[in-house]
Amino acid sequence: MNNISIGRYVPYNSKIHKLDPRLKLFAMILFMVEIFIRFDVGNAYMDFIMYGIIGIIVLILMLISHIKISSLFKQLKSLWFMVLLLFIFNLFLVKEGDFFLIFNSVKIYYKAIFDTLYIFIRLLLMLALTMILTATTTPLDLTYAIEWYLTPLKVIKVPAHEIAMTISIALRFIPTLLDETDRIMKAQASRGVDFENGKFKEKIRAIVSLIVPLLVSAFQRSEDLANAMEARGYNPGAKRTRYRILKWKIGDTLALVLSLLFFAGVLYISIAKIDFVAMFISFFN
Amino acid sequence: MSISLDHVFHIYAKKTPFEQLGLNDVCLDLKNYSFTALVGHTGSGKSTLVQHITGLLLPDKGKVNVDEYQITPNKKQNKDIKKIREKIGLVFQFPEYQLFEDTVLKDVAFGPKNFGISEEEALKRAKEALKQVGLNETYFERSPFELSGGEKRRVAIAGIIAIKPQVLILDEPTAGLDPQGSVSMMKLFEGLNKQGTTIIMVTHDMDLVLEYADHVIVMKDGCIAKECSPIELFSSSDYEELSLDYPHVFEFAKMLQTKGFNIDLEKVKNIDSLADQIKKGRDKKYE
Repeated sequence: MNNISIGRYVPYNSKIHKLDPRLKLFAMILFMVEIFIRFDVGNAYMDFIMYGIIGIIVLILMLISHIKISSLFKQLKSLWFMVLLLFIFNLFLVKEGDFFLIFNSVKIYYKAIFDTLYIFIRLLLMLALTMILTATTTPLDLTYAIEWYLTPLKVIKVPAHEIAMTISIALRFIPTLLDETDRIMKAQASRGVDFENGKFKEKIRAIVSLIVPLLVSAFQRSEDLANAMEARGYNPGAKRTRYRILKWKIGDTLALVLSLLFFAGVLYISIAKIDFVAMFISFFN
Repeated sequence: MSISLDHVFHIYAKKTPFEQLGLNDVCLDLKNYSFTALVGHTGSGKSTLVQHITGLLLPDKGKVNVDEYQITPNKKQNKDIKKIREKIGLVFQFPEYQLFEDTVLKDVAFGPKNFGISEEEALKRAKEALKQVGLNETYFERSPFELSGGEKRRVAIAGIIAIKPQVLILDEPTAGLDPQGSVSMMKLFEGLNKQGTTIIMVTHDMDLVLEYADHVIVMKDGCIAKECSPIELFSSSDYEELSLDYPHVFEFAKMLQTKGFNIDLEKVKNIDSLADQIKKGRDKKYE
């Protein structure tokens, strides 16, 4: 259970950790959009060049925020299967453009390979971005940021504070429930439950012996929490002050300008259909 | 039944910023048929140690020997862990959270059945175990979720006793129980011990250690700081350094002794034996 590292805050004191969570959330959304922009200039190279550029920036961000590259690949383990399945589907379904080779009368097209690669690269980059965000921002800060973005919606009666409180409670209890799961698994394992091996029927029983106590304790906890909040006079509708106030600093403005500039650049390259390869060739001719 | 730990190390959250040393070069031979108390400050590695004995945690270095079986750092080599768990029952702190079946009897029979015991025999053992923990027939068909906290704990402990382990490890079995409940719980373990079950009890309650244990292991910062009998431990001069409390009874007896009362500290186990000692001391005075 302790090896679940995705979405876990890692306390370092890097430049990225110190940035305003609102900015980090916004910049991540910009990056995500960039990842999904296509550079349709008639050859596949341009897409890969741009993925490379975005990839290098993401890599630099990861290095600044002390995230190990190996931890990213650990998260990928579960994705390999999906990518493989996708590749097999693409092999048979994509029949456009030039083909790469013929294998037992099945034509394998370039596009099938490239499409799979695109999706793989996008997944990788998105995973890296979410890791940067969650590893450098405490869940609490993140919910403050979400609440801040939802504030304008209060005009149309969207319960921004309640949503933020729900999210922050949910995030707060992830580690607690993981610990609880670990504890119950160990307790049942000492009663002879084998969570790893065994027949299908035994496995179902093993899971039931885990889920029932987990649910019971989760409900118990939620009731305790609700009572504790009420005992301290919590009123969801009331206007609240906050202990930690988000402060916008010069560094945040700088980071905002940088990410907007980068976004604008990527957007321009895509819309104006700029082809680096063609430029490169014409430059030397 | 022999249990021994051979230079066992354990590191929590290895290779992350949360890294922490759980066990630091622990060597230990557990005595058969003993009632051993495992004491130490919070975070000293008591729970980590007992989880190594049943293979719930694997050592990062060193090995654990249980009879002919071994637990090693290599996950693939540890095929006999289930056999070890049948011999060594582990009752966690607040075990009432592990109940999940719809009737008390079924829940208690769950353990034995997992170890390949027939349905009939498992139910027989479950009934026996429930009677041992002081729950009669009226409880058998009730849902474990409608019982009181103390009753739930009895059911959970019965669930381990029904496996008939040769060694019973208890992690703070009396935490959160009322005084009467803890006394009857301890009497149960004492009885099991007399019937030939080795008992290892993790506890913070030094009065329990003095009254029931015949052997104490003190842990500090992941190491074994001391291993001796309770009376040796409490009379030792460096006891204060272990940052543990004295048993109330022992403290009182010691105060009486320093005031010139004739008391044999070795015979003081609980309030009754303390009273006996005081009476004897008084009788001697008047002779």
